[in-house]
Amino acid sequence: MSILYDEQQQAIADEAGRILTARTSSARLKELLEVTGQYDDVFWETCREQGWTGIGIPEDNGGIGLGLIELGLVAEACGALACGAPFLNTGFGVAQAILRYGDAATRAEWLPKLASGEAIGAIGFAEGADMVPGGPALRCTNGRLTGAKRSVAGGSAADVAVVLASGEHGPVLALVKLGQSGVTATAFETFDNSRCTADIAFDNAEAVVLDTPDALAAAQEVLSLQAVIAAHEQVGGANKMMTAARDYSLTRHAFGQPIGGFQSVKHRIAEDYVLVELARANAVQAAASFGTDTFAVNAAAARLSATEAYDTVSRDSVQVHGGIGVTWDADLHLHQRRARSLAIEQGPMVFWEDTLVDLLAGDVA
Amino acid sequence: MTTALEIYRDNAAAWLQTQIAEFGREARRGLSHEEDLALGRRWQAAKFGAGYSAITWKPEHCGQGLTALEKLAFEQEEIKHGFPNDYFGVSLGMPVPIMLRYLPDGWKQERATAALRGEEIWCQLFSEPAGGSDLAGLRTRAEQDPATGDWIINGQKLWTTWAQHSDYGVIVARTDPSVPKHKGLTYYWVDMKAPGVTVRPVRLAEGTSEVNEVFFDDVRIPDSQRLGPVGGGFGVAMETLTIERYQATDPAGFGPPLQLFIDEAKAIKIKGRPAIEDGRIRERIARTYAMQSAMGAIYERTLLSLAAGLQPGPEGAVHKLVSVRARQKLSEFAVDLKGVEGMRYDDDLTRKESWSKSWMTAPTGRIAGGADEMLLNTIAERILGLPQDHRPDKGVPFNQIPR
Repeated sequence: MSILYDEQQQAIADEAGRILTARTSSARLKELLEVTGQYDDVFWETCREQGWTGIGIPEDNGGIGLGLIELGLVAEACGALACGAPFLNTGFGVAQAILRYGDAATRAEWLPKLASGEAIGAIGFAEGADMVPGGPALRCTNGRLTGAKRSVAGGSAADVAVVLASGEHGPVLALVKLGQSGVTATAFETFDNSRCTADIAFDNAEAVVLDTPDALAAAQEVLSLQAVIAAHEQVGGANKMMTAARDYSLTRHAFGQPIGGFQSVKHRIAEDYVLVELARANAVQAAASFGTDTFAVNAAAARLSATEAYDTVSRDSVQVHGGIGVTWDADLHLHQRRARSLAIEQGPMVFWEDTLVDLLAGDVA
Repeated sequence: MTTALEIYRDNAAAWLQTQIAEFGREARRGLSHEEDLALGRRWQAAKFGAGYSAITWKPEHCGQGLTALEKLAFEQEEIKHGFPNDYFGVSLGMPVPIMLRYLPDGWKQERATAALRGEEIWCQLFSEPAGGSDLAGLRTRAEQDPATGDWIINGQKLWTTWAQHSDYGVIVARTDPSVPKHKGLTYYWVDMKAPGVTVRPVRLAEGTSEVNEVFFDDVRIPDSQRLGPVGGGFGVAMETLTIERYQATDPAGFGPPLQLFIDEAKAIKIKGRPAIEDGRIRERIARTYAMQSAMGAIYERTLLSLAAGLQPGPEGAVHKLVSVRARQKLSEFAVDLKGVEGMRYDDDLTRKESWSKSWMTAPTGRIAGGADEMLLNTIAERILGLPQDHRPDKGVPFNQIPR
């Protein structure tokens, strides 16, 4: 797969940007910040209508085929507007886990619903700061889950989740329907409420154990897939914040000239441009290498560059804006929040640094 | 990428393999500077013989008439083996091609062939002591003798790469100080062995002398050595600088590969444990890798753009800024990691093999071709459309600019 977008891919990106700009608003996003556990249903409806929920799912399973590159382009457009919902990532992760490790019945039951967006998927691997715990506290015995997963992105909105649990013979990935009795998802307040982050408690809940040769490796692989989508969202957001700083620095005057003419300001924005370009290059390279030997390394690199870019550029953009940048009315805080929530949801920097170094140093079997 | 290009690359790689024993990194070890230059001249002749010395040049200039893609493919393979091509990069990159564009046929073909074979070297006399990034502010004068039409050059140039080995050079000089600075410049070629030309090597901090100061005392040249119109020198200089647009780059900033750092971090112990288990080391490796991998992807996209007949985007401006700065930091960190052992400085190792040598030479790489601040200005002004720096000398006749 080429890292140079073709015309069709470019058209997907342009169309996604156009539609999202028309249908989403920062006013709506700000309303969602003031309530707990509510995502942007207009955004999700748009994803469904446009078929974005079906990208990456084969046509036989109700999807529209296409791949990570196309999903990445959509994600970048979503990121630019700080719109979106965690399911863009986790729904894809759940679908890919089912595609790879689910039996025929599970695939038939869930993939068409995930592809159409009728069902929302969440991922519950982490326990505390450990993204892929080797001995999860959540137990899975005889197809029943008992225990809890805390801080699951999208947890209060999801219909189905893939969780990492301790089975009788070691870690397993289990698919669990969240609507059933015995499952309680409780959303809590975060600095980015529309992510619908929730604690999920399982009390003898019914689950399907997925057929993974190595559940920890499978979990890591799902995270890598999600990391690449997140990286594109982060690139979209970072680029938007860099552009906002640039535009503002041309209109705002001080000491008789646009502030963008001061080297301290223009160099800061130029450094931000560099971060965005590096992050974009790694994100696209990772998406294009899906299915090859270098995918895991590229996904980790993409994740690191994108997190650094989005955090740094949103921080800098507020700085360039000065006072207006820290107000509720300016939209900068939407990106400031999203930069951090995207960073945390898919695993913090130290996790991806460790992942990358293990791969590079050949310490992983 | 096209199959034809892959075949070209494979053929080039295969030919380069046959040359390693005679010209590669190991063959150069321990040579004196003069011996290395002599080897370099032979390497240049070997490339000429094999048809790899002027890949993008027109056939009438002994070129192969191929595209930037073939040239980049060849350079990417060549760069792996440490061949002695250092001395010819400037010569063949800018002065000789610009000479070929502006001079009448005949003599120039002989010079181009001699340069391609490594028999002759050209230098580029642009920079001056007082003006680093402000090329148009140069003060070297060229005055025309009304009787003969000859030009008489007086002044001093600085940072002239390989001037001590050069047979010819291209030079920009001020011919009219009464007009704004960009408009009073004229471009010439000069014989570096002509009376009145004095070359003094400048010893750099790392101990080498790749650059020189060059003095011109009443150096007389005929008007036929002028390239472009009188007063049009700035334009020719800009054209010169944009000729060599696509060059093979190295994500490691021409320092050691990250793998060397990883290998050493496995071997070095901190409190009895391999350094690679230390979080500070791991962070450094991971961040450096992410940066280098992005540079590689950007470069690949440039190649794909060229192959698709597109003009690559402006991301190339990022490369030098990021890669050399990162190399400097990583080298410093590597020297630190080795503790007292990090002091060792082995002249026999290249800057791609030794962290101390890489660290010592990194500042030169970071400044040559534009300091970080200039590159950031380029990105800010050309790519992002931000305002130019305050330039109080704009539009002012050169001789009225306060010094």
